[in-house]
Amino acid sequence: MSQFVPADYQPKLPLDRLILTDPPSEERIEMDVLFVGGGPAGLAGAIELAKLVRADNEQDGSLGTVSIGVLEKAGALGEHSLSGAVVNPRALRELFPGLSDADFPFTTAVTKESVYLLSDRSATRVPTPPSMKNHGNYIASICEIVRWLGEKAEGLGVDIFPGFPAEALLTEGDRVLGVRTVATGRDRDGSELSNFMPQADVTAKVTALAEGTRGLLSQAYCEWQNLTGENPQIFALGVKELWELSRPLDQVIHTMGWPLPKNAFGGSFFYPLEPTVGALGLVVGLDAPGRSLDVHELLQALKTHRVFREYLEGGELIEWGAKTIPEGGFYALPPRRSGDGVVMLGDSVGFVDVPSLKGIHYAMQSGIFAARAIFSALKVDDTSGSTLGAYDRMVDASFIKDDLYRTRNVRLAYKDGFYKGSVKAGLMTITGGRMFGNRIDMHRDADVPRDVGEKTDLIPDGKLTVSKVDAVFKSANATRDNIPPHLIAAADVPAEVAEFYTHVCPAGVYEVADDGLRINAPNCVDCKATDVVGPRWMPREGGSGPAYKRM
Amino acid sequence: MKIAVCVKRTPDTETRIKIASDGKSIDEAGVKFVLNPYDEYAVEEALKLKEAAGSGEVVVVSVGAASAQETIRNALAMGADRGVLLKTDAVSLDPLPTAKLLAGELKSGEYDLIFFGKLAIDDYSHAVGAMVAELLGMPAVSSVSDLTVDGSVGTAEREIEGGVEVVEFPLPAAVTAEKGLNEPRYPALRGIMMAKKKPLDVKDVTLPEGGLELVALTLPPQRQEGRIVGEGPDAVPALIDALRNEAKVL
Repeated sequence: MSQFVPADYQPKLPLDRLILTDPPSEERIEMDVLFVGGGPAGLAGAIELAKLVRADNEQDGSLGTVSIGVLEKAGALGEHSLSGAVVNPRALRELFPGLSDADFPFTTAVTKESVYLLSDRSATRVPTPPSMKNHGNYIASICEIVRWLGEKAEGLGVDIFPGFPAEALLTEGDRVLGVRTVATGRDRDGSELSNFMPQADVTAKVTALAEGTRGLLSQAYCEWQNLTGENPQIFALGVKELWELSRPLDQVIHTMGWPLPKNAFGGSFFYPLEPTVGALGLVVGLDAPGRSLDVHELLQALKTHRVFREYLEGGELIEWGAKTIPEGGFYALPPRRSGDGVVMLGDSVGFVDVPSLKGIHYAMQSGIFAARAIFSALKVDDTSGSTLGAYDRMVDASFIKDDLYRTRNVRLAYKDGFYKGSVKAGLMTITGGRMFGNRIDMHRDADVPRDVGEKTDLIPDGKLTVSKVDAVFKSANATRDNIPPHLIAAADVPAEVAEFYTHVCPAGVYEVADDGLRINAPNCVDCKATDVVGPRWMPREGGSGPAYKRM
Repeated sequence: MKIAVCVKRTPDTETRIKIASDGKSIDEAGVKFVLNPYDEYAVEEALKLKEAAGSGEVVVVSVGAASAQETIRNALAMGADRGVLLKTDAVSLDPLPTAKLLAGELKSGEYDLIFFGKLAIDDYSHAVGAMVAELLGMPAVSSVSDLTVDGSVGTAEREIEGGVEVVEFPLPAAVTAEKGLNEPRYPALRGIMMAKKKPLDVKDVTLPEGGLELVALTLPPQRQEGRIVGEGPDAVPALIDALRNEAKVL
């Protein structure tokens, strides 16, 4: 088999497990508003809502106490958060009008930046595209931002529950009533261990899904409610490393070209988190047609280029991690992001602008808007979809929609490869999106046929370049070895497809064994890459997965 | 049954330790703190005994900065009834001052049992439990991997080199928990919510004098990379030479 379509081997989303219609358990925990996901979107929403409630209470409003909860699947806030990141501070400024940029958990302001087009030997500096100019933005660790937001939220009385993934939506008719959490303490075969803790049902007047990229319940809600954008959502995989550098880095660097094949869309970043702590990563679209394309291996190859090597050699790899990014942009947004008792925020719906490589401030801003809509809905005691639709209207009237609309076709232009894409994207950028302004049709990543492609043949030296096994160790993944499998693959996957999964997954979860596909589930770092083009990801016991510290 | 559990806030075992500029403490920036893992066994055992007895109280006590309240809340979320923080910002790696503070707090509490982790994973001193027992004049049973309590008599198994020692002791007593004593429970969502409302008494204290002075902290030396000296029987002389003259183990 030389060519195959990944979708032919992808199990369907198990909606019967994800959308529950039985009434919630009698032991349920009741809250007023529940945020599912303690990332920038969920925490910004919780903070804004807590502030609005506090102001209402102080003015003797009618609302009274409003209980606000945040469920987070990681063992501690920030441990599953990963981003570049160069952050646009505008949403933080809006959320904390009394604070200045110096109060925010940024490390450095961007003062200097370069973009290089790489070949295997050379690096040609090219003018920074206007969308990628970062003056006024700040370098930060999303882990630190999230922990900081968590402290602010707790200070406002928000209840944060790390270690509690949500595995299903509780529903009644078209209304979302809340979520069911994942049970903990199960053995590999599903049987209960001595410290077994059953799942809990958490109900709320409004459930805000802020699960992040490729959110399971957001996917389930959209499929259940037939919410599809004009284009399907598409994803890229980013693999990131944090290094103690051997010499200081004084600027933000982005590269394009080598070592990516020409039919792949992507590029690298290299940011000084501190002068001698560098965050570098490689982001590649999951629609690349080469079936041995391997982002982790490409990142290892990239580090041998002199642009990176001179900073890394003699330094030390501190952390490693991976995460997908929704790249579909404007045309992939679901037609509504609200419904009866529910709103969806941030990466869960795809508020990411690919040309400027930004998502964090859109995620936070969407949380702020959602909080305002929820507050108004609580005031009139009507949390129906039509009232919560105020959230959609605020997003559509804001810079989130403007920015995404302006660049609506830029990522899509690259579906025909790097060079044609660059020319088209350049013209779109110059004309503010007016040139080639009609929607470019996209395939789902899983529908793009995969063919034999270039292979990276690099044997890791264990210092500058690392194997996937060593990499996962650096993600501080301490998942229990006897945890039940959480990845659902089709039965009898052909060897070529199994081999493809080994390359898609950056964490060495998949292996081709004599008897077919072997899944080393505890390795999984929740990046969701194979959920896009292969085996489905389901949530597992809270606290499983990576424990990122400064990613 | 009235039980106290003494707990400590320690850096997570996954922490990449950096020594602070004073050379005597660790740099806490970016460090994740947890309930000392051995203390989790202690909390679990206390909860099990109380549950088996059908009534009683489990009180969690810690010495440390304000941030240790979070650690106490973790134990309350597991099911303990109330917490006491003896609050001091002074950091001591000397076990005696900590033991004195704990003994002072516990002496009038009429506890049947006082639990500790067998050691704290940050300073590894193994000492506080035994010191508190001495200060309170009660038996100390350390590194316990199995415990039964019958009326006012406890029976404990202690894992010793190459075997198991079984000891019997009268209550009240101090017991330090070894890994394997039990499987600590996960806090339930409801438990965490309830923990926020449980009483946690914060008392300002001054760290008493101890007998030790911390002179310096150093990281262990970096492990040397392995080297392949050759292959097959021909390499044996080179291996012997390396073991004798480089590693100096022959």
